[in-house]
Amino acid sequence: MTAGHEIETRLREVAATLLCDKKVDLFLGYEKTSLPLRTTPLFLTSADEVERLAWNPFCAANLAVYLPRFFRAPADAREAKTQPPAPTVGMVVKGCDARTVTALIQERQVPRDKLVLVGVACPGMVDIRKAERVLGEQEALGAGEDGQGNIRVVVEDGSEVTLRRDLVVADACLECRSPTPALHDALLGSPVEAAETDAARRRTAEFESKPPDVRWARFQEALSKCIRCNACRQACPMCYCKDCLLDQTRPRWIGAGTDLSDVTVYHLVRALHMAGRCTECGACARACPMGIDTRLLVRKMNQEVEDLYGYQPGQAADATPAMSAFAMDDPQEFLTEP
Amino acid sequence: MAQTQTAPPTTGPATWQPKVVAFLCNWCSYAGADLAGVSRIQYPPNVRIIRVPCSGRINPLFLLRALQNGADAVLVSGCHPGDCHYISGNLAARRKFALLKDLLLYVGLEPERVQFTWVSASEGGRFAAIIDKVVEQARRLGPNRKLVKPL
Repeated sequence: MTAGHEIETRLREVAATLLCDKKVDLFLGYEKTSLPLRTTPLFLTSADEVERLAWNPFCAANLAVYLPRFFRAPADAREAKTQPPAPTVGMVVKGCDARTVTALIQERQVPRDKLVLVGVACPGMVDIRKAERVLGEQEALGAGEDGQGNIRVVVEDGSEVTLRRDLVVADACLECRSPTPALHDALLGSPVEAAETDAARRRTAEFESKPPDVRWARFQEALSKCIRCNACRQACPMCYCKDCLLDQTRPRWIGAGTDLSDVTVYHLVRALHMAGRCTECGACARACPMGIDTRLLVRKMNQEVEDLYGYQPGQAADATPAMSAFAMDDPQEFLTEP
Repeated sequence: MAQTQTAPPTTGPATWQPKVVAFLCNWCSYAGADLAGVSRIQYPPNVRIIRVPCSGRINPLFLLRALQNGADAVLVSGCHPGDCHYISGNLAARRKFALLKDLLLYVGLEPERVQFTWVSASEGGRFAAIIDKVVEQARRLGPNRKLVKPL
């Protein structure tokens, strides 16, 4: 039995107990789909169905994206009267998901006392695109995990291919600094240490080492693929605004088409909105149908916030987010002096 | 009467003049610009001033929009730290501006296209000197082509 199976069994037990004891009204987890290398979000309301819960190397989705809608404040007095009481939600959290939940608690989007977090120490989740690239022409028919944590894939002709986990996990996982959830009510699996603590910095430094014109050209080349589907916004658990500036038409702040200038402004604005808030779960990169490195700018912004203001998003539920705070002696070397 | 005089060319590299959009806070910098005016301090006429209630009112998107719409440089000026009419608007703004400047530098845009400063209501001379500097830098950079949206 692999570590993954053990966790899956424990997870089902914990979820069943929570649902039976009415500790939670709803339990969020993952379920197998008919497609290999993937899972789909599962919303459980009854303990009878806990067998559907899955835990495998394909549970990449950040389920925290579903949380704010359960706890949204009523728009007016009438809605306040008719709105059903907020449920208590149980949820599987990986390291990144726990950071996101922490950030959502910090921003008063979800109440801590309405959440029961079942933490799972995460060894990194598979990036489907990477796995498919390694598999090449071979179509995956089934997939699982072997004893070493590598990925076993059954391909068309019935043979098995083993993919080394570190070669197929998502970039966000390779850069993850806290794979073991810090915020949790129960923890399954043995704690996992971060593989490398400065992987994100290295990526930023690599991009920064290029001359400005090359950086601009690279940036523009990547964005020229963007079709402005807004999937990165939709997938992001920290993009919870009820009225997004992208949906406003009076004024239409950023042109909705694929004009490169509009695309550029969109991505710059997204990076600024996520600065010091992005918990680096990689949901945007997973959602992008064009395979754009959506984390390029946000990664840099988070590092800048850390360097300037000593703040990392999603670390402490009672901390004030850096961009909601200020100090008299904040650095201001960037100012123009006559 | 037939027009005999030809109008001077308004476009072309020989006559190109940088366009600078300046967002000035109502309480300090706008008054500083006013003081520069009533004191008859000369500064380049390339600047278009937009008055805002506070530097904290400025969304970085405004600056990007200005660049997109053809500004060659953007200047934001507010009250000096500690002097904000709304106590801390400029302090909150300072964090946003620091990140915006870093971000533009990171993606390879000229950081001189976006400038930030503090000008108080009594600093007419400083305002003129800042405008001098920003216009001069924009002139050296040449027309903004990277972010401008073609019509």
